[in-house]
Amino acid sequence: RLTDQTGFYLLVFQRGCQTRVVHSAEAEVQTVLATISCTQTEPQYQTKEPLFQQNHDESEPPGLKDFLQRAEDTVIRELIRNAKSHAFDEFQVNWEDHSQLVSCLHCLQHPGAQERDLHVTSVSWSCTGSVIACAYGRIDDGDWSTERSCVCTWNLDRRGLNPKQADLVIDVPTAVTALCCHPNQPALIAGGLYSGEVVVWDTSRTPDPLLVQTGMSADSHKEPVYQVAWVPLQKKGEFGVLSASSGGRVLLWMVDLDQGRLVLNAAYALVPQQVPHRSNTSFKARGSSSTVGITSLALSPWDSDTFLVGSEGGLLLRCSFNSQMTAAVSFEGQSVTLKAPAVFPFRPCSGPVHSIHCSPFHRNLFVSAGTDGLAHLHSLLQANPLLSLRVSDSYVFQVQWSPTRPLVFAAATGQGDVQIFDLGHRSLRPSATIEQGGVDQAATCLAFNCQNTHLLAVGKTDGTVGVWQLSHDLTEQRHRESSQLEQIANQVAE
Amino acid sequence: MAEVEETLKRIQSQNGVQGIIIVNTEGIPIKTTLDNASTVQYAGLIHQLVMKARSTVRDIDPQNDLTFLRVRSKKNEIMIAPDKDYFLIVIQNPSD
Repeated sequence: RLTDQTGFYLLVFQRGCQTRVVHSAEAEVQTVLATISCTQTEPQYQTKEPLFQQNHDESEPPGLKDFLQRAEDTVIRELIRNAKSHAFDEFQVNWEDHSQLVSCLHCLQHPGAQERDLHVTSVSWSCTGSVIACAYGRIDDGDWSTERSCVCTWNLDRRGLNPKQADLVIDVPTAVTALCCHPNQPALIAGGLYSGEVVVWDTSRTPDPLLVQTGMSADSHKEPVYQVAWVPLQKKGEFGVLSASSGGRVLLWMVDLDQGRLVLNAAYALVPQQVPHRSNTSFKARGSSSTVGITSLALSPWDSDTFLVGSEGGLLLRCSFNSQMTAAVSFEGQSVTLKAPAVFPFRPCSGPVHSIHCSPFHRNLFVSAGTDGLAHLHSLLQANPLLSLRVSDSYVFQVQWSPTRPLVFAAATGQGDVQIFDLGHRSLRPSATIEQGGVDQAATCLAFNCQNTHLLAVGKTDGTVGVWQLSHDLTEQRHRESSQLEQIANQVAE
Repeated sequence: MAEVEETLKRIQSQNGVQGIIIVNTEGIPIKTTLDNASTVQYAGLIHQLVMKARSTVRDIDPQNDLTFLRVRSKKNEIMIAPDKDYFLIVIQNPSD
């Protein structure tokens, strides 16, 4: 439109185009004749062919029947002859140089810990078998301790191994009471502290190896954590950390790397009223204490639902992860409902149970030991122990089955020695004793090396960790050992 | 096919037999009484062993040939009956 100041001219262009002439034509048609025809298929007769019971193959591989006819007689003849033959009885082959002696390979010390008179509280081998991780703290403290301690690792396969200097020293604000290396990832170590915290260190991270911890949250333990273990979770390849403390709770933590902390996944509490007990043993619930202090924990490698718990009062219980019963106690601020896991009570011991270990060779057997100086061999199916062996006149701090010999287990005693028992021997005396240092230094922990099976690590209260090489007869499985173990497991306890 | 199964049952019923595997010339198991993982392991390893054993025998004497192979270990004995198209592998624990 036109305005006063400026003139707008609307220009309109118009274009046209035109094609050439389009030719078109019209025509009509009409049918003259029409015919109709149709077709139809007939239903096929279902031939009833006999269906062979085929497993995976379409047809029998050619010549298989003939081959078996030829081979069967020969093979059966050999099988029968072999079953009756005595040709190889007691025949043994020497593949390696057999060490007849048990000898000490290394005596590892951390001067920083020894200066402060720290005891070795726990040792654990990494999953590769080359690295030994040692935790320091105290085993005799009754009071709340704020003493700093450490975790040291030595790589025994390194050329420049210096027994007096650890490859890695991790500073920890309080005493470390439990340690467990990850079953698949060599750099991860889980630890339980005197303060009740649970931490996971990643030794490949520098400068600070601390990966995740529980912190002092409402969910965490308030009492010392006496055992930590890596537990396989539902999802294959993932592991959670199970911790047990004398506060009476067993907690399952998941590693949450995004939040940088351990997140509580499941919680179990042991309460005296909910502990099943046998009617002929009197169980005195201690006054106002509302939980049962847990001093040891063991996972079953055969049954992912079962775990075993030992208490301060000597109770030995079989528990279940999938228990649905709610615990009769609650803790403020607990984010996960507490379950009561106890399923079956074994005969109680007369003192705290320090150590339980399930046999890697038989699904029903486990061994337990505590302050009564005895090692009890139990079957999961019976309340009374199958066998009780006198290990020492003082406390037994740890027992562990050998990873290679089904009948052998080792026990660390308060008198400083490690007794190794072989259940295949008739007598109940230990088949080997490892002693180093004075009688006043207790052996507090031990660990068999599952990769290098001739190694055994022993930690003592003088702050030293001895790495021992075991003799051949303590590590090589004997003929028919598994069936002997089976016989022992099938005994009925009186 | 039923005869094949019958034969395997007869062999399995012998004293101490822990497992039977039939392997073809390429080392692929075609029948087994063990679990898949063990079967595959045995098939692959034993096939190589039989080939080596056979070539050892024939190298020493070209007129000779392998008829049977037995591997005895601490825990059990593996018996192998070789043939043109198949191998029959039987694992036996004689003390059972």
